[in-house]
Amino acid sequence: MLLTPQGASRSLAAVFTPIKSRGLVDEVCGRIEQAVETGLPNETELAAALGVSAVTAREALAQLRTAGIIRTARGRSGGSFIADDVLPSRERALDQLRELTRLQISDLGLHYQAIAAACAGVAARRSDAADMATLRYFIPTAEEDPLHWRLALSEFLLEVAAIARSARLARELIRLQADLGTLTLLPCTDSGYRGRTTGLLKEVADAIGAHQQAAAEAAVKALVAATTDWLLTEQSKRY
Amino acid sequence: MAETTASRDTTTLHARDLDAAITGIEDRLAAWAADTGTALAALSGKVTGTAVDKLIRPVVEDLVRTPDGYVAGAGFLANAGLLGPERSYIAWWQGQELEHVDALANFSPNSISRHVKSEWFRIPVETGQAHVTGPYVDFLCTDEYVLTFTHPVFCRADGPVVGIVGMDVTVQRLERGAMPALRRIGERATLVNPDGRAIVSAAPDIAAGDLAAAAEGCSVHPVGRTFRIWSGATAL
Repeated sequence: MLLTPQGASRSLAAVFTPIKSRGLVDEVCGRIEQAVETGLPNETELAAALGVSAVTAREALAQLRTAGIIRTARGRSGGSFIADDVLPSRERALDQLRELTRLQISDLGLHYQAIAAACAGVAARRSDAADMATLRYFIPTAEEDPLHWRLALSEFLLEVAAIARSARLARELIRLQADLGTLTLLPCTDSGYRGRTTGLLKEVADAIGAHQQAAAEAAVKALVAATTDWLLTEQSKRY
Repeated sequence: MAETTASRDTTTLHARDLDAAITGIEDRLAAWAADTGTALAALSGKVTGTAVDKLIRPVVEDLVRTPDGYVAGAGFLANAGLLGPERSYIAWWQGQELEHVDALANFSPNSISRHVKSEWFRIPVETGQAHVTGPYVDFLCTDEYVLTFTHPVFCRADGPVVGIVGMDVTVQRLERGAMPALRRIGERATLVNPDGRAIVSAAPDIAAGDLAAAAEGCSVHPVGRTFRIWSGATAL
């Protein structure tokens, strides 16, 4: 089903497809954790939606409660809610950054660049006017808040993949964005990064719109490098 | 591209097979929309999510399990007003295993808005006409390159659109059905959508998703309501 610029996050939608097998409780926990940006349905609704038994859903919710990821309120306006301190935050992102080595960050950056550049190159060949209107919609202004920025950047690149019309490249991009996790929130808290990135996003869009393959690839690589460089600079402050 | 009258006739014959396949999908969808409207009207205002699921799922099961069928997934999306004011509802399944698609969206207004604002829902609701979206990469369901055929559902002939029924057809499945006919029509024969975007092409330099143009003097054959076969196409 097609997404629109006005719709909510696409990567989040992947969370809500039913589960195959493999460690059901763990899988349900994973899905719920990924769904932090929305509210949670109750046990029965969750069980029906994910196609698992109510017992499995209850066990997964209990596991997450123990881990402090959700809290449950009783009473008329009760239900399960994501605990405030697990929403994407600067602190959690910094924790994630501390666990990574420079080698891991730069290698992840290279992989991300390769996939994003491949998407941008093909997108430059296949773009039409409607594609461009959608893509430009995702370019945020420097004033928007960091959480919005992180989402807009990820959606912008997914839209580049959508314009390329390659299912494999799109899937790979979604996987890479999941690997990056909340890390990408960190540079978005820096207004200097936001300013530089706005310019790069426009460059990528212009090149794709003008069917300039090499320019689109170069601009999208610079966009990914801006993020990787920021993270490496931040990471070096540990030492 | 000069063609004799005889070869044009043969071309028309092969194009007709493909036209029949696509028209078959569109007719089946229109019939399903009519049946769904009648069944929803019979519920006389007491429409619940469970009732919609009961109505839609057996049809989807039939569609996706049809041997050599084209349908990878199908379902229904309610317009605001059917189950409640400002409320939508999605009943969509895909694949042989009948995976329930994005069912959690029914508990989250933010998630359902994704579907309600999409082309495959918005256009049939606004125009009251059938619509084909794509081909596009379907991030929500199949993660495949697909076409989504949608049709508005009415409970009364003069009433509002109460929802849409739709079918997802993967380009891969369509390719298997279309290639024999395209090959016989010509080595650069191409099936395109109304934007001139290739869905399946016999030409090696035109991939699904590429924009193409009709070669000078080539014959054009309608396929279904909106697609065309160009007996010869060039890559843009």
